[in-house]
Amino acid sequence: MDAVSALLMDTMIAGAILAGILAILIWVRNKTEKVSILRLFVQFAILALIFAGLVIGPFTAVQFQPLGTAPRDIAVGKNILGVPFPDGMPLPVLACYYSSGRTVTCPIWQMQAYIFPFWTTGKGWDYYYSTPGIERLAIVFGLVIIMALILGRFFCGWICPFGLYMDLMIRLRKVFKKPHLTLSDRTNSLLSQSRYVIIAAFLIISVVLGAQAIFGTQVVPQTQTDGYVTNYFNAPFCLVCPMRPLCVLAESALGLMNWSYVISHTTGLLAEAGYYITSINVIVLVLVSALALAFRRFWCRICPLGGLTALFSTFNPFNRVALTRLTKDEEKCTKCGVCKRVCPTQVTEVYDKKGGNVTVSKCMLCFRCVEMCPYKDTLKVKVAGKTVFKSRNWLEPSESD
Amino acid sequence: MKSDNQTKFMPEIPANESEELKKNVKSASEKVISDYIDRMKKASKNRPETMQYFDEISNFFGQREKEIREAKKNGKKVIGYSCVFAPIELILAAGAIPVRINSGWYDTSKLGDRVVPVEVCPVIRSTIGAQMIGLSPYFELSDAVISTLTCDGMTKMSEILSDAKPVWTMCPPRMKDSKQSLQLWKQEILNIKERIEKLTGNKITGKNLRTAIELMQKATKAFRRLQDMRKGTPVIMGRDAMLVNQTSLWDDIKRWTEKTETLCNELQKKASQKQLACPADTPRVLITGTPMFWPDNWKVPSLIEEATPQGIIVADELCSSDRILNDPVGIDEWTMEDMINAIAERYLMASTCPCFTSAEGNIDRINWLTTKVKDYKVNGVIYYVVRGCMLYAMEYARVKKVLDKLNIPVYYLDTEYTREDAGQMKTRVEAFLEMLSSRVDI
Repeated sequence: MDAVSALLMDTMIAGAILAGILAILIWVRNKTEKVSILRLFVQFAILALIFAGLVIGPFTAVQFQPLGTAPRDIAVGKNILGVPFPDGMPLPVLACYYSSGRTVTCPIWQMQAYIFPFWTTGKGWDYYYSTPGIERLAIVFGLVIIMALILGRFFCGWICPFGLYMDLMIRLRKVFKKPHLTLSDRTNSLLSQSRYVIIAAFLIISVVLGAQAIFGTQVVPQTQTDGYVTNYFNAPFCLVCPMRPLCVLAESALGLMNWSYVISHTTGLLAEAGYYITSINVIVLVLVSALALAFRRFWCRICPLGGLTALFSTFNPFNRVALTRLTKDEEKCTKCGVCKRVCPTQVTEVYDKKGGNVTVSKCMLCFRCVEMCPYKDTLKVKVAGKTVFKSRNWLEPSESD
Repeated sequence: MKSDNQTKFMPEIPANESEELKKNVKSASEKVISDYIDRMKKASKNRPETMQYFDEISNFFGQREKEIREAKKNGKKVIGYSCVFAPIELILAAGAIPVRINSGWYDTSKLGDRVVPVEVCPVIRSTIGAQMIGLSPYFELSDAVISTLTCDGMTKMSEILSDAKPVWTMCPPRMKDSKQSLQLWKQEILNIKERIEKLTGNKITGKNLRTAIELMQKATKAFRRLQDMRKGTPVIMGRDAMLVNQTSLWDDIKRWTEKTETLCNELQKKASQKQLACPADTPRVLITGTPMFWPDNWKVPSLIEEATPQGIIVADELCSSDRILNDPVGIDEWTMEDMINAIAERYLMASTCPCFTSAEGNIDRINWLTTKVKDYKVNGVIYYVVRGCMLYAMEYARVKKVLDKLNIPVYYLDTEYTREDAGQMKTRVEAFLEMLSSRVDI
């Protein structure tokens, strides 16, 4: 009975998200102007869907009293056909695990949490997992790969809430009429390559520090030996991630999280790192925000999750089957350079490459270049070979901000 | 004339002789203009009514000259330019009037022979000759001239013209695909901006520049709409469209945009009523090569569209027509920095001028031509080169190879500003068009 209602709930939420994405895709197709405005709208709509739990409740059943009255974990896929998967389905966007009311989970957190010890089942939030870590990892990776193959880094450009935050930083800068800075192409590609080092490093740290014991030696003194499988170091990336403090602070400010409880779990810089928020988190957030004011979409250039999505959509052999692609018709291109200049992550390949598939790992498929390209049909966004959006014969006057 | 009355290049022509020459050439030129307009009217059955406006504005000694004179009296500055590389947006933003000063007079090209040898391209000779007798009202009215050092002719012409006017030179790099090129060109743009500000006394503010850019973007929109009209069944003769394009070089750009939109509306109506400018199976010709300047240089388009069998120019790749307004300035953020970057990129990177080269040669022009040939369903290409135009002449071999691969016949037409060879050229053009029309029938 419970499983059935949970499944029903899942289907409803998943259906709403899918219908939202689908409706938006259809809309984009017929929409030929002001893609930037449309994208902002989509980002806000998806933000609402991702944190739908805060909107739809159930507020009557408070799952975790100390944290406040807002519901936690209205997670899609919390219960897959009776198999408990308490943390829910991952979506390759920074939808923070620690905040309340989210419907999807950040796969980075899940990967770190499940990777070691991967043979145990253990206890997740609220109830026990019924599958060992290796299976859960397979589910997470499988889903991320499937989604990366379908939409690629469209997630970064259009869906990710932190991407929205980065875009708002751009808009904030525009209010003050200040020009943005640009990184050199070399630095930029170094940054984009560093993403893979970052994610590999954190997964290794997760294994080393997150393990209760390696060869009988307890590495970090205060890790719990039983019960809840995650200790603070189980998810080391989350200790530095800028999204976590953003979510937690925002929800605390809105009264959806009990701030005193959050702060009581934050007792030190590193050794006793906070469960909800750490000082490093806040420092990174401030740094990233400041850098995002100077360089457009700064975080998106180093985001390990974006790197992961790119890994499964733009590199061989994944790029052969990836469905969402940015293509260029070389004959129609006059190399005017607009695409290079307007790109928020400073992708140069769209300009440099000879034509054909120009989707690269740095590209977040925000379609700004397609919007601004002044030559008809030169740049096209193709989903499964079908053109959904293409450059027009004319560029619309830019938004008036 | 300069204060010390010492000219570096120009021969001293006695005032009365110069006056007489000017009178003669001017009356001849007015005759040529009205003659060509009459011929254009006759050639097209359903000539749009809006063309009347462009016919008037195409007269160098008419309405527009008076307007500019009037504006100058009210303190406006006029800045001439000899090449489409000059940043019009900056001139407009400073409140000055941009006019292009190249001339297409045959008679003045003969006068130019007194300064430069006949091997030099007639565009240069004619412009110099026009300056000698003060024929071109736009050159005479301009307070300064922006000259871009693209080809050899342009480079030396700017020296020669500096006898009469302050000439501001801009040096475009010869290759576009290196990073330094854009930096150099951006610096050139900034220098010109400073000079324009100094001359006009108006500071180019972000707001003014934005208005100017938006004005030009609207013009590009209208321009592209007109070119799109030429892609389908022929509703406008090529010469008419080329004249419309060329008048944008000296007309008030806002009024020009409005009139072009009106023209497009009229053409749309004509297209829906199937009132065609010429039979639908007329061979479709693309012209590329040396710029063609109104009025004497209208020889080749007239030959094509008045020949039997008739041809229609559906597209061209000329910096005197199609490349004037084709590329818009694409702005990401409306900051001064980005606007200047965008202007620099639009004038340098988007250009398909043969003065550029890269690791793959002037591949941009080849690509652009290929696209045009496909988009406009072109049956044949006329590669027009005037004597002395080295850059276009030397690119012919490559263009021919590319077009051969597309199975598009291309005809190399080398000529001069002279009117004498019209007869034999007619035979050549007609033979080519006959070949094209037989291909159309198949």
